Amino acid sequence: MSCIQTRGLAYGQISYRDLDIEEGKATFISGPSGCGKSTLLRLFNKTLAPTAGTVLYRGQDMAQTDSIALRREVLLAGQSVFLFEGTVGENFDAFCEARESANLAAEDKQKFLRLCCANFPLDAPCVHLSGGERQRVFLAICLSFLPKVLMLDEPTSALDQETAERFMAQVLAFCRERAMTVVAVSHDPALTGRHAENIISLRAEAE
Amino acid sequence: MNGVAQIQLGSFLLVYVLLLVVLAVMKKCRISQTKLLVLASARMTLQLIAAGYALTFLFEHPHPLLTMGYLLILVFFTIYLVLSRNKRLNPRFRVIVSVSIASCGLGIIIFFVTCIVGQSVFDPQYLIPISGMLMGNALTGVSLGLKSFWNGLEGQRARVEALLNIGATPEKVLFPFVCQALETALVPTLNSMLGMGIVVLPGMMTGQILSGTAPTTAILYQITIMVAICACVCLCCFCSLYFGYRTLWNAQKQVAF
Repeated sequence: MSCIQTRGLAYGQISYRDLDIEEGKATFISGPSGCGKSTLLRLFNKTLAPTAGTVLYRGQDMAQTDSIALRREVLLAGQSVFLFEGTVGENFDAFCEARESANLAAEDKQKFLRLCCANFPLDAPCVHLSGGERQRVFLAICLSFLPKVLMLDEPTSALDQETAERFMAQVLAFCRERAMTVVAVSHDPALTGRHAENIISLRAEAE
Repeated sequence: MNGVAQIQLGSFLLVYVLLLVVLAVMKKCRISQTKLLVLASARMTLQLIAAGYALTFLFEHPHPLLTMGYLLILVFFTIYLVLSRNKRLNPRFRVIVSVSIASCGLGIIIFFVTCIVGQSVFDPQYLIPISGMLMGNALTGVSLGLKSFWNGLEGQRARVEALLNIGATPEKVLFPFVCQALETALVPTLNSMLGMGIVVLPGMMTGQILSGTAPTTAILYQITIMVAICACVCLCCFCSLYFGYRTLWNAQKQVAF
């Protein structure tokens, strides 16, 4: 069954062939830079409006659905990592507050941190974390919202190969267990080859 | 006390010697703004001479339409200058800023002249200096507020994107920037209140004392105008930002800036 489908989708200069994202599977999107991978994810969570065509989520035209509810179900962990000032634990709460959802218990926060290879104490201040560590904390927070569709834009860009591998394996196993759909953009063909259940390769299409 | 002593033309020109001193310092330190210094002092001189003649004419021929005309030109220029300093606002945002400055500014001017001073709004002697002071401060305040709002957004694009992507509403994501900008806009006015009377004898009070008004009367004017300035900056800036920041997203909650 299709989770997300596109029909005649275009954004600015970029036009996409019709795509189908399979429900409950890990789909990886690859392609040269500038071919519209990140833009595609933003069209999927409706933070961008397509210039032509439609995106369907579970058969329904996204243009007709409530954007905020949709973004909470089809969650995008974007390429640019953001964390609030304060500790790792406080960041979980701050993001929950922004989404107006209930705070997590400390053990749950730690569970998601471990899952994302970010086993830091909850009272560790985020300013002392490195770029890769911040990225993992951010991804742990995104994962903790348990969206129906988790979209990851270059989730391992700041990680070394070993950590990237472990991170991907753990997160995908967790998502498979919960029948979550994963859409990931990755530049790393080896990582894609090992973990993808479906691969969509986009070309830099000249119209 | 008598009326103010007249400045003679010769001594008036003497003050420009001070500008030469500034020029010398700038040359020495290789500050390349000499052009700006010349332009700014020339424009100040010309604009004030023009204002002097315009006001003389207005006071000699007081007419409600002329007074209102002056007020409208003042408000128009305030809006024009604020918008020209913040070129990146979208068209709806610009309209909201204009309406906010015009309505809040005029509201406070009318309230001040009629309720506090107890004079007719058509009396140029009160309306013109008071509206000039209020709008002048609104100009600085709103420009500063909008600039800091925009810089905040630009500098924290990652924050805005991350929070929108996890499903926060645009109101929730962007409102902190409104608060931050409002604070930045208000701080100079609040700080100037702190030093007032100790170090700073403000312009309005100094002017009244120079022209022979009793200092006790002058301080009453100064205190009331300071409160009015604070309220004017706060309201103009708040309305511009609070109603303006809503133009940054559409019905589909897609944010663009």
